[in-house]
Amino acid sequence: MAVKTESNNGLAICRVDGEINISTSPDLKKTFDKLIAQKTPKIVIDLSKVTYVDSSGLATLVGILKNMRSYGGKMRLAGMSTKIKSLFEITKLDKLFEIMATEEEAIAGL
Amino acid sequence: MEKEIVIKAEGVVKKFGDRTVLNGINLDIYRGETFVIMGGSGCGKSTFLRHLIGALKPDSGRVSLLGKDLSKLQEDELDAVKKKIGMSFQSSALFDSMTVGDNVALPLKEHAKLDKSVVDIVVKMKLELVGLRGFEDLMPSQLSGGMRKRVGLARAIVMDPEIVFYDEPTAGLDPIVSGVIDKLILDLSKKLSITSVVVTHDMKSVFSIADRIAMLYEGRVLEVGTPDEIRKSKNQMVQQFVSGSPDGPIKFFQQKDDYLEQLMK
Repeated sequence: MAVKTESNNGLAICRVDGEINISTSPDLKKTFDKLIAQKTPKIVIDLSKVTYVDSSGLATLVGILKNMRSYGGKMRLAGMSTKIKSLFEITKLDKLFEIMATEEEAIAGL
Repeated sequence: MEKEIVIKAEGVVKKFGDRTVLNGINLDIYRGETFVIMGGSGCGKSTFLRHLIGALKPDSGRVSLLGKDLSKLQEDELDAVKKKIGMSFQSSALFDSMTVGDNVALPLKEHAKLDKSVVDIVVKMKLELVGLRGFEDLMPSQLSGGMRKRVGLARAIVMDPEIVFYDEPTAGLDPIVSGVIDKLILDLSKKLSITSVVVTHDMKSVFSIADRIAMLYEGRVLEVGTPDEIRKSKNQMVQQFVSGSPDGPIKFFQQKDDYLEQLMK
């Protein structure tokens, strides 16, 4: 898994590539811990190149959202495949996250 | 589309002393199905289950799990395969000195280096799936038998397994709670696309959850089929077991002569 982050005017766009699983989710958390420590106001996580997310990955994303909300930050998820979206639906996380079809849609109005 | 075999047993034989418990079992189990192994007490079904999870090695024959021949794997390779399976034990096998949450979290803490905050969220998600969210801080002794089973189930799925094995999931439960557990097994299998292998002799449970059924008798597979095929089976032993009749080809007592012979040995 790799994460490329692009920050501009308080908005961080994080493009994740690969699997978010039990081995890689600690690295994902570290990446976002830095952005959260800086109290980044807006984060868009582009999941269009993510092939698999396990429960530890979902929990890591929930943790990021929880930490962002603690200082009033906003976060959106974008570009997830139908298969990954169904995981969010099973775990009811689709009601917790703002999920947009594309990165552009996620950025608009954030 | 061709079905993918995730478990393959080929000529599995196991003896304990001079008693042959498994006598050449051949079985294919496909991805995504709920496969029930049924048979009377002592027919070898629990011993067979222990072979499928790599806890026992056959004297001859082999078991392949997710394409790997278990008998040829090194310990670390076997551990890697075992991370992809979950096991729900007959007794629930919860640690009484640990909270519900810690019991569910145990495999994650053993196999992964996750932050406690992440583990706590995974535990909540799994307990929600078995209808026990909010019970994290209770001790197992504060739960009913059915709730303990559900905690055991949450623990079995905490690592997102591809296959879950259930050993007598409804044993000792009343009919309503048994129905709840059956529904949960079905829900989890469908929602999470898990292959489920259930060992049971609870006939109501067998017919409500199985996609396919194998009946074991004296260490051999008598018949494999869909619930409908098993119901209509012409095999008298299968019919006797399904109907629960004490009279038929399956003998529950040894012959009188054997008994007298044994007394005189």
